[in-house]
Amino acid sequence: MDAVEKANAERQRKWVKDQKIGEGTYAVVYRGRELSTGRKIAIKKIKVGQFKDGLDMSAIREVKYLRELKHQNVIELLDVFSSKTNLNLVLEFLDTDLELVIKDRSLVFLPSDIKAWMAMTFRGLEFCHRNWILHRDLKPNNLLIAADGQLKLADFGLARDFADPGYKMTCQVITRWYRPPELLFGCRYYSTAVDIWSVGCIFAELMLRTPYLPGESDMDQLKTIFRALGTPTEEDWPGHTKLPDYVPLGQFPKTPLRDLFTAASADCLNLLNKCLVYDPKKRISAKEALNHPYFFALPYPSHPSKLPKPVKKESHIIIEEVEGNVDFSGPGPGVKANPPNKLKRKLSDDESEGKRSIARRLDFGQRGSS
Amino acid sequence: MSRWLRGTTIRKGGSSNGSSATRHSTPQVQSTSTTIFGGGVKDPSGRTSEYFSMDDQCPVCKSDRYLNPKLRLLVSACYHKMCESCIDRLFTLGPAPCPICNKILRKLAFTPQTFEDLDVEKEVAVRRRIAKEFNKRREDFPDLRSYNDYLEEVEDIAFNLINDIDVAETEARIAQYKIENAAIIEQNLQREEQYAQYLKEQEEADRLEREQRAAELKKLEEEEREEKEKGRQELIDKLETSDKDVKKLIARSRAEAMKRAAARIITPALRSTSHLLRSRAAQSTAVPDVPHVPLQDDWYAYEDKFTLRDDYDDPVSDAVRKDREGIMRAGGYRVEEAWERALRFAVAGLDVRPLQGLRSEPPPASTSQDVVMTAA
Repeated sequence: MDAVEKANAERQRKWVKDQKIGEGTYAVVYRGRELSTGRKIAIKKIKVGQFKDGLDMSAIREVKYLRELKHQNVIELLDVFSSKTNLNLVLEFLDTDLELVIKDRSLVFLPSDIKAWMAMTFRGLEFCHRNWILHRDLKPNNLLIAADGQLKLADFGLARDFADPGYKMTCQVITRWYRPPELLFGCRYYSTAVDIWSVGCIFAELMLRTPYLPGESDMDQLKTIFRALGTPTEEDWPGHTKLPDYVPLGQFPKTPLRDLFTAASADCLNLLNKCLVYDPKKRISAKEALNHPYFFALPYPSHPSKLPKPVKKESHIIIEEVEGNVDFSGPGPGVKANPPNKLKRKLSDDESEGKRSIARRLDFGQRGSS
Repeated sequence: MSRWLRGTTIRKGGSSNGSSATRHSTPQVQSTSTTIFGGGVKDPSGRTSEYFSMDDQCPVCKSDRYLNPKLRLLVSACYHKMCESCIDRLFTLGPAPCPICNKILRKLAFTPQTFEDLDVEKEVAVRRRIAKEFNKRREDFPDLRSYNDYLEEVEDIAFNLINDIDVAETEARIAQYKIENAAIIEQNLQREEQYAQYLKEQEEADRLEREQRAAELKKLEEEEREEKEKGRQELIDKLETSDKDVKKLIARSRAEAMKRAAARIITPALRSTSHLLRSRAAQSTAVPDVPHVPLQDDWYAYEDKFTLRDDYDDPVSDAVRKDREGIMRAGGYRVEEAWERALRFAVAGLDVRPLQGLRSEPPPASTSQDVVMTAA
């Protein structure tokens, strides 16, 4: 065993893998713990074998960027080790994600909750941008929530550094519903503004409790955006008609956000509006957003520990049963067979009825006719 | 309309039970003046309840309730009573001295009387005023001792004002305190407002929840009854028409009823939104929300180490800058970012000590913090 293998084995010994909790296209996620402290962790096992060119690109990206970033609102990469042919990323364990929170209809969001989530998202994003990293896949699903309520950006599989003039970047990034118009128009040189658009969509989704711009295809996505925010003019967004994949999509009028977000405050809509500006250059930056009056106005952002969280499945059921006043002595839904003594009694009952079946039938008939 | 015919005028302030048949029931207080007097002590519903007695007599004009059944006495800022007609007469033409103590009074500064004893009236007013400004809480003090000292001082000031001791000096003390603690006062005021708002919301939520519960329960009972009725009817029909074994038919219908009952129980008792809101609101007072702090890490971008110029001779980015059609710029790409990044990376290593030759000394803490990504 050479030194590298030895070091790797040593690292591996520090972590214990428990059960599998999820599977993605290129990785399996396990719950685990740190052997020495018992701290809960997640191990992301990356399947190597199926890629011809060795490691999958997203795995490399994830390791490359997460190793550099340490911030309270960015998921922490604790360790990396290999086992057999697999690469294992040890990440901090986070309970839930924002998508589950949004979808849980039993939760009620206060305006202060949304403010707190937005502040944490912008803080994490600002840190990435400050360190010249674009996340490029922001969506509620990738905003994980820790036990103490802190929101953390996760899944850096599409992240990359930016501001390098030598290289074009791909426009096939960001989940469609959160993809900004410049990427849909095939722009190959872009910047931090792409992430801000995604955050704007998440912001709207938090208020609506349903995706804000759910396009069915890339073309439909553009139409959906224009329907919601109006078709951009050359004045709104200089140069957009010259973008590689530009197609005219017809004119849609601009409707004020107020029509859809009836309950939002003026500050809130102002910030949302600034996140969803067509011209990427005029879109608000993460740092500017954090200094927006929306965050300073009352109500203050909720304390992270008070933010709503989906209830765990097991405990949920128990609560329901108690609330529904279940009579535990009677046969519950899960009980298929009656207890033996009960069964016997029932049978004898039926037998005695059976002897006089005809008479009873006549009885019923009479009752029905009278 | 009938009210107008009976000659009843609309009352201002004061609550009454309508009939003034008996001498000691609350008679109607009817205002003769056109001024609405504010102030007074409000009850939880927001109305002022006025003190009222059959032996009332205006100390100024000596008119009493026997001569003037509509007599209404109001209290001046110097805590002297007089009737509305006297107030109208004396103060309609502007500020004038009080007929009892000669203090200059204004018409609008009269308040309805709530308590029989005017000393109590005064104390309540003074304490209310003091509480508005001296609204610090226990958590605004480092220890119990200083909080107690503060309470002592507030009590002192209240006592002085109530008993007219060193009024000028006390007022100066209040003004001084107000200037020194403006921020905390404002903050606590907001907190109180929030709390009042929360109470109001909770009350509303409670009401909504009760209504919803009642409706749900009623619906459930209705459904249950209907189902039972339907089940019975079905069984009768079946027994009538089919020639299957009676025993089996009854057993099946029983099983079905059982299943339905079980299904009802399983249907999660949908907890109403009002209930959820309330449980959220209940916890919201436990941990206080703190004002927004934009950045919570130690942001350092080496900005003091360089200045970015407007333009550089940069062959790498020529292609981008010659982008005449603006394709690159339309996507939000800025060459300046590339220059800033390059510069920041260049200066980021400036203060980092060399790794070799310094083994005896541990590296300084500032460089070990991974605040900004260094050029890798």
